[in-house]
Amino acid sequence: MASYALFLGCTIPARQPQYEISARKALAKLGIELIDLENMTCCAPPPVKSIDLETGLAISAYNICLAEEADLDILTLCVGCFESLAMANTLLKENPQLRKRVNQILSNVGKEFKGTREVKHYLSVLLNDVGIEKIRQNLVKPLSKLKVAAFSGCHLLRPSELLRFDDPERPRIFDTLIEALGAKSIPYKNKLRCCGGLLRGYADDVALAITRDKIVNAYNAGADCISTLCPFCFLTLDLGQMLIKTTYKEEYNLPIIHYAELLSLSLGVEPKELALDFHKVKLDKVLEKIS
Amino acid sequence: MIFVEDKGEKSNSDFIKNVKEMLGGETITSCYQCGTCASSCPVAKTTERFNPRHLLRIALLGEGDEILSGDAIWLCSSCYNCQERCPQKVEIAEVIFALRNMAIRSGKIPQIYIDFANGLMNEGRVVPVSKFVEKKRPDYGLPPLKPAGVEPLRKILAATGFDKLISKKG
Amino acid sequence: MEEARIGVFLADSGGQLSKILDFESITEFLRGIHGVTRVQRASEFWRGDGLKKIIDAVKSGEINRVVVAEGIPKIGEIAIAKSISSAGLDLNFVEVLDLKGHCAWPHRDSPREATEKAKAMLLAAIEKVRLSQPIEKAVFPAVKSVLVIGGGVAGMQAAEDLADMGFQVYLIEKEPFLGGLAARAVRFFPTDDCAVCIQSPTSDLKTVTHTSRKCIYRSGISEIPNLQILTNSRVIKLEGEPGNFKVTIEKKPRYVNDKCVACGLCASVCPVEVPDEYNAKLARRKAIYMNMPIVYPPLYVIDGSVCKFHECAKCVAVCPTKAIDLNQKAETITLNVGSIIVATGFKEFDPSVIKEYHYGEYPDIITHLELARMIDSFGPTGGRIIRPSDKKEAKRIVFIQCVGSRDRRWNPYCSGICCMISLKHATLIKEAHPDADITICYIDIRTTGREHEYYYEKAREMGIKFVKGRPTEILHDPATNTLVVDVEDEILKRFLELEADLVVLAAAMVPNDGSEELAKILGIELDKDGFFKEYNSKLRPTETKMRGILICGGATFPKDVPTASLHAHSAAVKAAKFLNEGKIVKDLRVAYVNEDYCGDCECCPVTCPYGAISLVPSGNGHFVARVSPLKCEGCGICVGTCPVGAIELNHLNSKQISAQIKALLSVNETSKPKVLAIYCSECGGTALDSAGMTMSYPANVRTLKVPCTGVIRAQHIIEAFKAGAQGVMIVGCKPEGCHYEAGSQMAKKKVELTKALLAAYGIEPDRLEMFNLVYIEGDKFAEAARMMSERIEKLGQLVIA
Repeated sequence: MASYALFLGCTIPARQPQYEISARKALAKLGIELIDLENMTCCAPPPVKSIDLETGLAISAYNICLAEEADLDILTLCVGCFESLAMANTLLKENPQLRKRVNQILSNVGKEFKGTREVKHYLSVLLNDVGIEKIRQNLVKPLSKLKVAAFSGCHLLRPSELLRFDDPERPRIFDTLIEALGAKSIPYKNKLRCCGGLLRGYADDVALAITRDKIVNAYNAGADCISTLCPFCFLTLDLGQMLIKTTYKEEYNLPIIHYAELLSLSLGVEPKELALDFHKVKLDKVLEKIS
Repeated sequence: MIFVEDKGEKSNSDFIKNVKEMLGGETITSCYQCGTCASSCPVAKTTERFNPRHLLRIALLGEGDEILSGDAIWLCSSCYNCQERCPQKVEIAEVIFALRNMAIRSGKIPQIYIDFANGLMNEGRVVPVSKFVEKKRPDYGLPPLKPAGVEPLRKILAATGFDKLISKKG
Repeated sequence: MEEARIGVFLADSGGQLSKILDFESITEFLRGIHGVTRVQRASEFWRGDGLKKIIDAVKSGEINRVVVAEGIPKIGEIAIAKSISSAGLDLNFVEVLDLKGHCAWPHRDSPREATEKAKAMLLAAIEKVRLSQPIEKAVFPAVKSVLVIGGGVAGMQAAEDLADMGFQVYLIEKEPFLGGLAARAVRFFPTDDCAVCIQSPTSDLKTVTHTSRKCIYRSGISEIPNLQILTNSRVIKLEGEPGNFKVTIEKKPRYVNDKCVACGLCASVCPVEVPDEYNAKLARRKAIYMNMPIVYPPLYVIDGSVCKFHECAKCVAVCPTKAIDLNQKAETITLNVGSIIVATGFKEFDPSVIKEYHYGEYPDIITHLELARMIDSFGPTGGRIIRPSDKKEAKRIVFIQCVGSRDRRWNPYCSGICCMISLKHATLIKEAHPDADITICYIDIRTTGREHEYYYEKAREMGIKFVKGRPTEILHDPATNTLVVDVEDEILKRFLELEADLVVLAAAMVPNDGSEELAKILGIELDKDGFFKEYNSKLRPTETKMRGILICGGATFPKDVPTASLHAHSAAVKAAKFLNEGKIVKDLRVAYVNEDYCGDCECCPVTCPYGAISLVPSGNGHFVARVSPLKCEGCGICVGTCPVGAIELNHLNSKQISAQIKALLSVNETSKPKVLAIYCSECGGTALDSAGMTMSYPANVRTLKVPCTGVIRAQHIIEAFKAGAQGVMIVGCKPEGCHYEAGSQMAKKKVELTKALLAAYGIEPDRLEMFNLVYIEGDKFAEAARMMSERIEKLGQLVIA
């Protein structure tokens, strides 16, 4: 049984328990053990880096140190957390000067980054530790009628030089994992483009215009839902549709659903166990297609 | 270089030097204005308020005040598409972080970032956990949420001077 | 060897030097040195009476070693050398030094110390010639034949030049036909003439009229008697020495002999079809094929990798002249040549790795080579510009520049010719189809050659559009089967979505296949971009580190045809110069290995910039190093590398260095602390020369000349300190500009190592310093000398037990 230190980040425990619930249930069913470490903090995403990059790097490194001390690799759910931590991990492993600089800061809290562990997103754990075959074998309710617009979010793939997760121009891992559930991952315009989420709070109008583009493109391609990996993307696209309704007077009713939720559902977890009422756009149409 | 206005004390070439010395800003001078970043940018295609090539152009001309007090640097959505495709390997997204760092040091910080920083300093998370949601955890079969390492985090923030950056702004 | 009888000749430069130097004292000093049989003084010794005196003394047998302190040593040295040589004295027994520029003038403010230094310098020169050994001249054969590798524009031009000059030339080409990349380009810019037009030979060919240029197929290149063309051939082994190489060639079978009349019946019955590489895979060809238009040789060829041979043999049956021989075998040919010219050209970069451009995914995105094949009316589309997806005429064409060029992810350099190629293609298409809608997306338009800018003007006048902006992605609209180019027009600051029937990628030009392998076989280097490396592209173009092996054309860097042609002629001249005499006469001022001491550490072959050292079996399972006297340039870098001192230079051995060091530091009447400056005979020495002309520096800086600072070992520096130096300066060429390629970088490493060594022994590492200077930095040398003098005074007396 593979064990990982679960890194939850901020947004998931704050507002999206449904992501955490579905992830824990699905991974448990597939034999992945998740350990909750003490004293983890925010991963230091762009809002923190915007204030001070060095602080961001130090905070990411601090969290990696906790995992190093527990002798575990990190598993993240949120791709934003994946990027912050994986980028920091690679940068510090490969740049001795930077590592020295950050370790000097970490000495204030009695920690030292050693570069002994990896930071993984749960998709790679599913692909490599569990394997497509095992997922298929465990399917209870294959999602064969479902047309999914896959949206991994920017931070799973880019910057590819540091994240090294998948081909940034032709990613296949997410689509493969969706198709392992029996669903169809459909092509749609500007599939890899940002949802605009990080502009919310500063330039809501611009953010909303970008979000709307994404919804429209997926909708026009005939998607039953958009599958996400990032809680921020989720909020932007899900709550965003409410805002689109009031701002643009357009209604798309396109359910936004985390991959972990799709995974859980296809593995047989009952919808009522998954706190699906946290979704603003109701999932009735999707659930129909699943049962 | 000749500029229309005489900005006074600091020369324009100082600005570039300062950017290059910032963590993240080192690669800015490799830019040769090809424009790949601009057409890769989801924000630039949506609004005229932001264009990464244009932003770098102004920065490379040394117009520090315009950049740091302007609105553009806050409009990057950090999607990294520009950095991914740049043929000169300019770390554009990182450069923009560095410029934001410089703007904040010079006293300009949008309110939302003050909120993020406060969340971090008070609770160890940029998005504070809603008590309502936390209470519901056992109902969903979720283990109790481990508290964030606020103490070590505060020490790190003190060590880097992060707390001082924000404290001036409230 | 007989005992040394040394004559010392002091030139006074019209009495100027004796105003500063005490010549009486110097003469007395010299007379007291053992072995000095004559001391003479005159105004000058490099010509006239003065020179005659030296020659007479040599001829009479009175002296057998000569030390001349001359006023204009560089020119003087040559004149003296010529005369003494004809008087029968080995040149290694002659030492010329500059008492004016290296002593009297820069130290005119301290005549006493200058005189003291003059004595030391003369003593050093005397000790050097005392220990000199005679140096032979060796004669090496220079076979008057040349191998040219590559039958493209550059290769053909170089081959023709040399054949016209009377050399035996072998032109080999790995493809079955001559012409190279250029022949597929159809037309050349900026004149739009045919791509197969080359200079015609000047040899007396009675059936060909003597115009300056002709198409390859009728140029007569194949008829020059001393030019042998071998197609389907490549180099597999190189042995021998410069001037006398033995090259092994592998010639693949053509299976078609010269009875072929190029009727094409064979191709019409051949059942095997494969993608046609020559036509950029836009069409298919048979296993038996010929490229159109016909170049040379005008014979079909069978692609042995796909032919079914005797299982089929349909071609053999229909051939009217029985020209096909399926039993032909590969041949191995050995050639004896004096020089080799590499002209293997370049190829187009494959842009499918730039995934955002979707090359290979969407068929209507092509490269320049594919477009060129379409423009060629002999090509796969009969001259029509079509969309590969549906074969319809392409009306809206978008060019994208710098695809894979100027891109740090792929090829950081600018390929130089793609802007002109795009302009060429755009104007050719627009001329034939005035209603074509053509846009070129660029970062910069580079039209730097002669008449290139007018080409750009013409393009604009024809209505070709230019967008300054690098597209980020090429999209495909499946509904309309149209391509959409996503680009920001930077000047307008507007985002454009250019619809196109056809998108042409100006892909980078990269080193040709097989470059690495060929470089290894020939023992030459590739530069960091993978092109063949010129020894010094500014000052010694077309040369490589291997004597006698030259490179030219696109193989060294992408070029247009006029430049490739120029380069080829240059290589031909170099080869001719090298082989003209039919022999190479060389002074053996080279390194040699004492094989008894060689410990097989195998360091020296790596550090030799000329590949002159090889490892030979020593007979007991080990290897020893051996220096090729022909390839050796006598720099001494190997001497500096060898950890056990097994290598020596004929013209400056370690005893001579030690003797000079002792001598230079010995004369010390004024008891001032001394600095020893070891300088190279190239840039370092010139800095001293120019400093000596108008600058002043302290006379306690004593100077020792070596061929290259690379010869210096930590041992020499320690010796200097032991002999009384309080400080040591190493003065050499700039690191990127060492005249022996790698010497001053090695010296720098040596200095760092020695500093650590000194520190370990409690000696201040600051007593040792390296300076990299050139001729125009004489002032910097003077400053450095002053700085070191002050430094050692501050550091105080150094005592080594």
